[in-house]
Amino acid sequence: MKKDLLVVGVVIVLLAVLIKGTNFQTVDEYYLTHIDDITSDSQTVTVSIRCDEVLKHWDDLDPALQSEEFVPGDGVILAASQYVLRPGDTAFDLLERVTRYHKIQMEYQGADKNSFSSVYIKGIHYLYEFSCGPLSGWMYRVNGEVPQKGCSQYELKNGDVVEWVYSCTLGQDTGGQRGNGE
Amino acid sequence: MKAFGEFHPAALMMYFVGVVLVAMFTLHPVLLALALTGGICFCALLEPAGRFVKDLGFYAGVFLLIAVTNPIFSHNGVTPLFFMNGNPVTLEAILCGLAVAGMLVAVMYWFKCYNHIMTSEKFLYLFGRAVPKLALVISMAMRFLPRFHSQMKRVSAAQKAMGLYAGKGLTDRARFGFRVLAATVTWSLENAVDTADSMKARGYGLPGRSSSSLFRFTGRDGGFLAVTGLLLASVLIGLILGGGAFAFYPRVSFVSTAPLSLTVYFSYGVLCFAPFIIELEESLRWKYLQSRI
Repeated sequence: MKKDLLVVGVVIVLLAVLIKGTNFQTVDEYYLTHIDDITSDSQTVTVSIRCDEVLKHWDDLDPALQSEEFVPGDGVILAASQYVLRPGDTAFDLLERVTRYHKIQMEYQGADKNSFSSVYIKGIHYLYEFSCGPLSGWMYRVNGEVPQKGCSQYELKNGDVVEWVYSCTLGQDTGGQRGNGE
Repeated sequence: MKAFGEFHPAALMMYFVGVVLVAMFTLHPVLLALALTGGICFCALLEPAGRFVKDLGFYAGVFLLIAVTNPIFSHNGVTPLFFMNGNPVTLEAILCGLAVAGMLVAVMYWFKCYNHIMTSEKFLYLFGRAVPKLALVISMAMRFLPRFHSQMKRVSAAQKAMGLYAGKGLTDRARFGFRVLAATVTWSLENAVDTADSMKARGYGLPGRSSSSLFRFTGRDGGFLAVTGLLLASVLIGLILGGGAFAFYPRVSFVSTAPLSLTVYFSYGVLCFAPFIIELEESLRWKYLQSRI
């Protein structure tokens, strides 16, 4: 019987750790974020999120997404605007902050979940990888060029222009080489 | 009593393949609900009541486990309910999880029914001539779990008879279980070799070997095959034309009530409940005839 108690105890401890380690938030709590105000001496970065390519490959798009609500007619999910750059911010940090501030849905794969040890953006605004054909997914450009680095490894500088673009052809349509959704 | 099992093996095979394939490849809630309830109803008639109720509890557990897993890994969907470690748990993901769980449990139930109806004899009759080795392996694999289960019961009974009781503690019971498992695994390996040897010794798979079977393709079988074929064709054509389209992400779509979709629901519903109705009718008739004696 003592062994049984031990087993029950271990299970309870494991459950407690699991629940304690999980952070539960309501929807309002999660979106209640504060974004720094731009002052004269703050460093800034321009961020935009666009999906123009989807409009050109409309027939490949998942029928469930074929509406103005999910793919805006002008391809602009988030118009370019300036955000405060905190020291050490990577492209991913800023994207997370911006999407959270604007309540744009975003799902990513953590850096510890893949072999690139960088965060991989699976979907933004319900538009996911493979939603528009087998070669589609999210990529990013900094100052018009596609960095050969994962988005959580790329540290931004003052004045950078970050564009998140949805590609339907592994990046051939958005400039740069393939494989940069990370 | 297995009135449904009296049909010709070829007709039964086509029926099961059709029903299970549609259930496997759709996520449409109406079709899945039909497959699930049809399979459970049919299974209720094939199994003893006690066993059926016990299994129902087990499958309810499986259903819940799968349904809960999906929202943990899928964060798509327009209706976040709450956030867990910064990831949304959405209504859409929960509903999709329910559909996936329903599909898996429905397919499991249909395979249970398949195991009751399509005996090894029928399976070997169908495929024994064309692909002898594969047919034998598949029929042995299909029989493996039920046989393993019953052998395990036998081994544990024998162990108890020898005085090797499981104690009250969890660890003691685990050790007892492990002893039984080890014995049963050894037995199953040996048994597989034995079966193969025994079939070989009987000349299984050799050219010119004849075998006796009592299956005859009658008019009733022809009728069943024709009706099944027609219903399946209407379901498949309807699905190809988009009558079964349904999306969970990013927003759950409405269940379509267009004539095309209604045809698909109706055809598949008849298909799923046919064995239940045939079996029920047979048992009612049996009771009626008995009551007249």
